[in-house]
Amino acid sequence: MSETAKGGAPDPLGRALARLCGALAVLGGLVLVALIVMTCLSIAGRALFSAPIPGDFELVEIGCAVAVFAFLPYCQMTGGNVVVDFFTARAPARAQAAMDLAGNLIFTAIAGLLTWRAVLGGQDLQRYGETTMVLAVPIWWGFVPAVFCSAVLTVVCAYTAWRSATEVLGGQPGERKAEVP
Amino acid sequence: MSSFAIGLASFPVLLGLLALRLPIGVAMLLVGGAGYVVMSGWLPLIATLKTGPYFQFSSYSLSVIPFFLLMGQFAAKAGMSSALFRAANVWLGHRPGGIAMAAIGGCAGFGAICGSSLATAATMGQVALPEMRRFNYSGALATGALAAGGTLGILIPPSVILVIYAILTEQNIAAMFLAAFVPGFLAAFGYMAAIWVFVRLAPQAGPAGDKAAWPERWTSVLETWPVATIFLLVIGGIYLGWFTPTEGAAVGACSTGLLAVLHGGMRLSGLVDCLKETAKATAMIFLILLGAEFYNAFLALTRMPMEAAAAIGASGWPPVLVLSAILLLYLVLGCVMDSLSMILLTVPIFFPIIIGLDFGLSPDETAIWFGILALIVVEVGLITPPVGMNVFIINGLARDVPMLETFKGVLPFLVSDGLRVVLLIAFPGITLWLVRVLS
Repeated sequence: MSETAKGGAPDPLGRALARLCGALAVLGGLVLVALIVMTCLSIAGRALFSAPIPGDFELVEIGCAVAVFAFLPYCQMTGGNVVVDFFTARAPARAQAAMDLAGNLIFTAIAGLLTWRAVLGGQDLQRYGETTMVLAVPIWWGFVPAVFCSAVLTVVCAYTAWRSATEVLGGQPGERKAEVP
Repeated sequence: MSSFAIGLASFPVLLGLLALRLPIGVAMLLVGGAGYVVMSGWLPLIATLKTGPYFQFSSYSLSVIPFFLLMGQFAAKAGMSSALFRAANVWLGHRPGGIAMAAIGGCAGFGAICGSSLATAATMGQVALPEMRRFNYSGALATGALAAGGTLGILIPPSVILVIYAILTEQNIAAMFLAAFVPGFLAAFGYMAAIWVFVRLAPQAGPAGDKAAWPERWTSVLETWPVATIFLLVIGGIYLGWFTPTEGAAVGACSTGLLAVLHGGMRLSGLVDCLKETAKATAMIFLILLGAEFYNAFLALTRMPMEAAAAIGASGWPPVLVLSAILLLYLVLGCVMDSLSMILLTVPIFFPIIIGLDFGLSPDETAIWFGILALIVVEVGLITPPVGMNVFIINGLARDVPMLETFKGVLPFLVSDGLRVVLLIAFPGITLWLVRVLS
């Protein structure tokens, strides 16, 4: 069991993507921090003045979705999606890279599919004018950051696939970190 | 091919893809999605994908997961690990093997504010390893105790895996946490007993440390008050219904974050680290959750889990035998897979089977009991070869100890784990006692 370890990105595109993913991760994290502070204030308001923050549950739901979507590209970019590498740990580096290429291509396709469908899903919700119960926040608002992050995820997946492909073709074993100590 | 056969065949396909290095969440999405298409065509899948993933992530009950993960990250920066270790060490350190026992005690205390095994092992390792080295503890005992002690992080509530199990099986999170208490304490005592036996057999492995004076003993216990307060507030508050599990996790994350800033000296760069680590862990878990959702939707279409559960229920096999077989399978899978993925992958199949068997318990009690047993067994995977993540982490901190030594040092703790699991299977009342008494 290990994370798909990748070294630092050597190329400008990789560096730009890494910065974007890191920024999204921190932004999503700040959303989480805002949610926990808001939740604590709401509990305090409820306990002391019988006045919780209205719609606190809804805000947590929206914020949690936005944060998770913002986290996905960072996880893929930093190789945080766990793989079972016990059976392939002794395979040649290029064979491992070929398997990672297949995995990254599959993930690219799935992420692209998710992005495409989420665009349509968001449009549906906008058309039907669905809102949350208490605060009447239009639900499609949450889809805007979600779609953006899914699109970034797709690009990041494609980039990691390209990285794997160069490893397969060029076979630069020095770039792969040892997976199991 | 009958739909039952399709459902059954999907499992080896999935495992095969995992063995070929496909990330677990992606593999479940792929097999689940493909199976969905086989069962009911392309259009239902395409329609589900429009808003399904968003609403899966936009869930109040799941938001407890990133909150607890953030709390664990803050806990690692709260600077409480040395206080916890010291509080245990002043009481135990002067006995043979006592510093290793104190490391176990420190892990148990740290587990009360951190729901992750790896973080517990790493954080306590940094504090306890130098102390054990100072008193010439053997590398095997020192690293083995910390690797095993780390598993207490996940067993003692709050525990991210228990939360996920509770959500998957629609159990009460507070009841799950309560049920984990006694087994968690048993684990800590069992590990200390393992150390006691270890130093009886090899006295030079764990020499006695300094003896602390009585006033120092009490003051060092008092210094752990923030941990005790946060733990009681979060777990007590959830249990007493002051707040929902999500709110409890938010309170825990807020207070642990404050502790990290005020006591641990966390600054902006530390906060950014915490956020990024939380981002990584959250994304990994939610991708697997999304994959599990699709895979389970497909399995439900094939009716395979229900039919398998009915067939096993009608087969007349002794329930304990079925349970033991499942736990053994977890043990084997745990050698190569991480615990969370295993729970997400297998609970939808095994849970209906277990619930369909008669252990002389109510369905809720069976669910709680099985959850705790499964949790313990999957955590054992963290300290077994060939891929014990806790062992790797501790071994990484103690560079001079060969990996083989650490795995040898883990052995007594594995024996202790095995005995405890047998005990908990034989007497479900141990796990359920606190739940029964308090409800």
